[in-house]
Amino acid sequence: MAEDGEQAAVSPQGEAGEEAAETGAAAAAAAGSAEPVLPAAGSPGTEEPAGDARKKIDVLLKAVGDTPIMRTKKWAVERTRTIQGLVDFIKKFLKLMASEQLFIYVNQSFAPSPDQEVGTLYECFGSDGKLVLHYCKTQAWG
Amino acid sequence: MGRRRERASPSGHGAGQFQPKKRTRSTCASLLLGRMTDDKDVLRDVWFGRIPTCFTLYQDEITEREAEPYYLLLPRISYLTLVTDKVKKHFQKVMRQEEINEIWFEYEGTPLKWHYPIGLLFDLHASNTALPWNITVHFKNFPEKDLLHCHSKDVIEAHFMACIKEADALKHKSQVINEMQKKDHKQLWMGLQNDKFEQFWAINRKLMEYPPEDNGFRYIPFRIYQATTERPFIQKLFRPIASGGQLHTLGDLLKDVCPSAITPEDGEKKTQIMIHGIEPMLETPIQWLSEHMSYPDNFLHISIIPRPTD
Repeated sequence: MAEDGEQAAVSPQGEAGEEAAETGAAAAAAAGSAEPVLPAAGSPGTEEPAGDARKKIDVLLKAVGDTPIMRTKKWAVERTRTIQGLVDFIKKFLKLMASEQLFIYVNQSFAPSPDQEVGTLYECFGSDGKLVLHYCKTQAWG
Repeated sequence: MGRRRERASPSGHGAGQFQPKKRTRSTCASLLLGRMTDDKDVLRDVWFGRIPTCFTLYQDEITEREAEPYYLLLPRISYLTLVTDKVKKHFQKVMRQEEINEIWFEYEGTPLKWHYPIGLLFDLHASNTALPWNITVHFKNFPEKDLLHCHSKDVIEAHFMACIKEADALKHKSQVINEMQKKDHKQLWMGLQNDKFEQFWAINRKLMEYPPEDNGFRYIPFRIYQATTERPFIQKLFRPIASGGQLHTLGDLLKDVCPSAITPEDGEKKTQIMIHGIEPMLETPIQWLSEHMSYPDNFLHISIIPRPTD
């Protein structure tokens, strides 16, 4: 998903190789996204180098109920992308109407605020190097 | 705005719904409030905190006659769109129907996010300025890039409950919140909406418990805000207990996630660490802060602001 010709903020990763990546950087971003997932508190404080802030994180999108399934489920997403940005992207990808609702859930338990950044969610709720998000056209977990 | 002091009777019977597991007179509470204080008093002081506010209609709004400012004591723990129905009514009285759209609030040019608690907004943007807090009211040109829409109270309730669920995911892997019935969830919201301390804490106390074999929550729900940075807030995983069993402090948290905020250059502290309008000592255990000074959404919302130079 490129916006105005800039580097893709959300790029496909891994499966469905026929799916043309918007830019060749997608593969590189995907390969380099290994981040420690659950840093222990009180660990020797290393402030995140500025470069990390731009690194992408891996997001796995899972459909709930009879919501259409994305052909590409695994995406490398910029940390600063918001939930609203992700919702807009999924809606476009699934060819849903802008007026249709789409709910996103973390841990199958809460719906994050639209302005929440995926990077923060990944830091707190990521596992096995990725953030799993469930999406649904109707409210699934309240 | 008087506070009713309802003391739980010694026997624990019939004193209302809220039964504290034990009345503790902790050092934290005493040092915080500077007097002989029970931990429960801290909960009340947090709940009943108010900010005197003056609402003024934006000058470019079109009115049929002069709009007088409207004064209101805002609850620190609530949300702007939940407590400003009277403000809306007051200004709509002098406007034509066609000029009225969704209300939004701004302070010195900064749109105020209704989904942030009022106390956080004040601490972050206006804590070192003279009272009353002067907020400007708008009905036009809604800033889509800065604010979420709030078309009904249901939106506020959904946001509030989502925050509580996120907090419990961190504290208890969602076990406590998921064990509750829907009516318990509703009671948390109704307690907030109707300013009912006892009603709220009858349920919320369960979210503040932890297994006896542990000494605290799994992770502390917190967000650190700085008006001066680009990022909305800092939120990371942080354990309240160190591997050796010692309690982590507020200072430990800041050193770990935001060291630049507290490292004094040339020995002078340039910033204030503020929660609910006060600066807790950095030695305060973060577990205690989480239990006693979280907002009703169960998050510790912490502001880092420039220290006034006087």
